[in-house]
Amino acid sequence: MSTETTGLGTPESLTDAEREAVEAELRPLADGEFVLAERYTEWQVQAPTLESDLAISNIAQDELGHARLWYDLLEDFGYTEADLIWEASPGEFRHPTLVELPFAEGDWADAIVRGYLYDAYESRHLHALEGTSYPRIADRVGKVLAEEDYHTQHARNWLSRLCDDEPGRERVQNALDRLFPYALTLFAETEHEDAIVEMRIRTESLAAMRGEWLEVVVPRLESLGLSVPASEDGEVLVDLPDQVGKDGSHTEHWPELLEEFTRTYRKLELGEPPRLLEDPNEA
Amino acid sequence: MIWEVFRQEQRGKYHTHCGNVHAPDKEMALMFAQIQHGRRRPTHSLWVTPRDEIGEVDAEETRFGGTTDKSYRWASTFNTDEDFAAEIAASQREQEAAERERAEQDGGAERGSDAEQGAEEGESA
Repeated sequence: MSTETTGLGTPESLTDAEREAVEAELRPLADGEFVLAERYTEWQVQAPTLESDLAISNIAQDELGHARLWYDLLEDFGYTEADLIWEASPGEFRHPTLVELPFAEGDWADAIVRGYLYDAYESRHLHALEGTSYPRIADRVGKVLAEEDYHTQHARNWLSRLCDDEPGRERVQNALDRLFPYALTLFAETEHEDAIVEMRIRTESLAAMRGEWLEVVVPRLESLGLSVPASEDGEVLVDLPDQVGKDGSHTEHWPELLEEFTRTYRKLELGEPPRLLEDPNEA
Repeated sequence: MIWEVFRQEQRGKYHTHCGNVHAPDKEMALMFAQIQHGRRRPTHSLWVTPRDEIGEVDAEETRFGGTTDKSYRWASTFNTDEDFAAEIAASQREQEAAERERAEQDGGAERGSDAEQGAEEGESA
């Protein structure tokens, strides 16, 4: 894939400003995939049927794989996996707060709505990275995109089935009401936004991505008989929640989840996380 | 609802039955089958079909087109089933006895005849 002649170079050759912008782009992306997968795995052995259990576990595994690809690019800058995940403080994580919220027990509609809103955003984000000026990102976008189709299909299929009757639609509507403000955090800008777009690390602004996302998501949800607190021409009727995630602010659920999934790491006093797979650079 | 799943490994090969999935409709069945039956093995295509739509007839209900035992068509060696006829069993015993006798007389000396060859093989077997 050819990059712009003004493209960024290898990790070592970046200026401080370039490196900061690349990090600011990658961190929310990596954390977002990781934390979403972490929440998805809570459905293991709990999903409505064996088949749906396997499907969501598979999706969780994909998202973990994507997280690994993005974390690996942060490791180019000298971070270790322990720095980034296992020994990081809650505030160092930059995932949008949509992905950290807990599921109410048995609330499958929540998992589906969350997945739908997230996947619709993720595929847009990946397309905005296809023409990135940073070659290390460009190399990896294709692999991630290839797996996203199934996720989108999964979410859409489930959504329309759940909205088939009134009680189901009501559950979806409740999840949507609760999650929609948090979904807007996917597009929350950080102080690095202008630099990211100017350097063409991402070829589209978050504001433009949000517009496109609303154009797709709003009509589909409305066609299922749901009411959405936004219009497809960009008008949004709800405020961002207080905790956005991408600025380091998180809901009270996040430290709890972080504590839970790093417990084994701490208990075993591991110096570094055990590796099951070879480094993506070698794979 | 149960959907039977058929997997084709390569273009042009047969789709072979590989299991089933529970799903409310065809679209969901295809979606689940991809993970359950397509993911861990090379897959070019998957079919799903409602189990109820599969017709079945088994050996308890039919003789599959005739009563003739055609198992002889599968013969892969020339060993004949002795129980097939008393004559065959008798002839077999006769030949074995003759071969044993010849082997005793010759004491394993080289003869090179086909009969000798046969006798040695018969004994060692």
